[in-house]
Amino acid sequence: MFCLMETFRFTTFLTSNLDINKDEIDLLLKNCTHKTVPAGTFLLRQGAYCRHTFFVENGLLRKYGVDAKGKEAVIQFAPEKWFVTDRDSSFFQQPSQFFIQAMEDSTVLMLDETIIEQLGQQIKGFVAFNQRLLHNHIRQQTKRIYELLSANAEERYLSFIATYPDLLWRVPQWMIASYLGITPESLSRIRKDMARKNAPSKGV
Amino acid sequence: MATKAIESVIAPSTPFYVGDGFRVHHFIPGHPFPTMQRTDPFIMLDYNARQRLEPSETPKGVGAHPHKGFETVTIAYKGSVEHQDSHGGGGVIHEGDVQWMTAGSGLLHKEFHEKEFSRKGGDFQMVQLWVNLPAKDKKVQPRYQAIKAPEMGRHILENNAGTVEVIAGNYKGTQGPAATFTPVHLYNARLNSGASAGFSFPKHYTTALLVIEGNVMVNGQQSVPASHFVLMNDAGEDFRIEAADNALVLVMSGEPINEPIAAHGPFVMNTRDELIEAFEDFNLGKFGYLE
Repeated sequence: MFCLMETFRFTTFLTSNLDINKDEIDLLLKNCTHKTVPAGTFLLRQGAYCRHTFFVENGLLRKYGVDAKGKEAVIQFAPEKWFVTDRDSSFFQQPSQFFIQAMEDSTVLMLDETIIEQLGQQIKGFVAFNQRLLHNHIRQQTKRIYELLSANAEERYLSFIATYPDLLWRVPQWMIASYLGITPESLSRIRKDMARKNAPSKGV
Repeated sequence: MATKAIESVIAPSTPFYVGDGFRVHHFIPGHPFPTMQRTDPFIMLDYNARQRLEPSETPKGVGAHPHKGFETVTIAYKGSVEHQDSHGGGGVIHEGDVQWMTAGSGLLHKEFHEKEFSRKGGDFQMVQLWVNLPAKDKKVQPRYQAIKAPEMGRHILENNAGTVEVIAGNYKGTQGPAATFTPVHLYNARLNSGASAGFSFPKHYTTALLVIEGNVMVNGQQSVPASHFVLMNDAGEDFRIEAADNALVLVMSGEPINEPIAAHGPFVMNTRDELIEAFEDFNLGKFGYLE
């Protein structure tokens, strides 16, 4: 029934990517909030202002929008080691169009823009590192738009499992279908076809 | 033979829901203690303490999810659970039954309150224990051992002290029905108020207790209330459990496998590469399909 999950600290993320020791980072991050929230909690609601970038240390968040008919569109999942925010709101101070919700009991580090600036000023190499993260984000978003416009459902599914290798058992199928822009029935069909092709003969 | 003393008594943590049907206290791995390495070969223990379930026309539980590299042992104390898997298997674990499922090379399954039980509602109480598999057996074909209550080994204690039901391993010559890949003893000790029973395991085995009902005293020294988990140390062999009132204690003891553990979600392998392979196999449908 239960799953065994690991925690990934933001400080480890930084020390493994930058030439800095843990004490220096702890000092910088001492004013950041660690928040542990139960599954279902909203960290951002449509119409509110997003004040933070969330780094997921444990658990899983999703960012989604809801159209006029109440249909959800999942923009992004954020499992351990992922960032999620609404930049339109956190950087450009616009009311958000999106929701950010915890899908599992989650622990997140809440980074505001001031902290990101401070990290840039005080940690050598952080600006370049952050730029790299931003470029990577843009690259992924472009790839995602292209796939939504041109890839077939199976190709999108294969891309999803490459991006999120450990989400298939953590997220309801309809939500993955929403992320892929296909119906839950199509996702079910793709997975059945794949099992038919790839599963060894039955053994129980 | 030396006495095996208590290493720690762990109180139940705040319960949380697995799916929408199982409200569990999580004992293994603990945060920060005990680690899976410390409780090897037992790598996960969830306890759904006795709970009154309201009737529901829609059975609650956990939808299709994978497992690979270990065994799940589900012990139904109250209520019934229905399960189904991607290999066409399925059945009901009734009150008093144990299901010993070897996930081995990987399968998908789902577990829900049994339909009729869900419709009527009632008391629900269950344990799920994960037993690790050694590297050489991690890819065995999945299999079930559906052990019905009457099939348990039953050792009647002297002086009307109670009964030790043997699920796996051996208690004073009484053998349990479950086949295991490494030496594991698993018992339900049902002790009458004021009675006691002695237990003996090799000192290097990981030995632990979960008090399901009642209050007990271990080695005449430490009192342990219901829903508490007791980890015994590895310095001795023998210990005694005395029931302060009618008690039921799950007793587990197993030889540590002593191999590296790489665990993520429902996959427990030996290396990170094997874990990644497990994700890929699952994502590509190699475990089969289950709606």
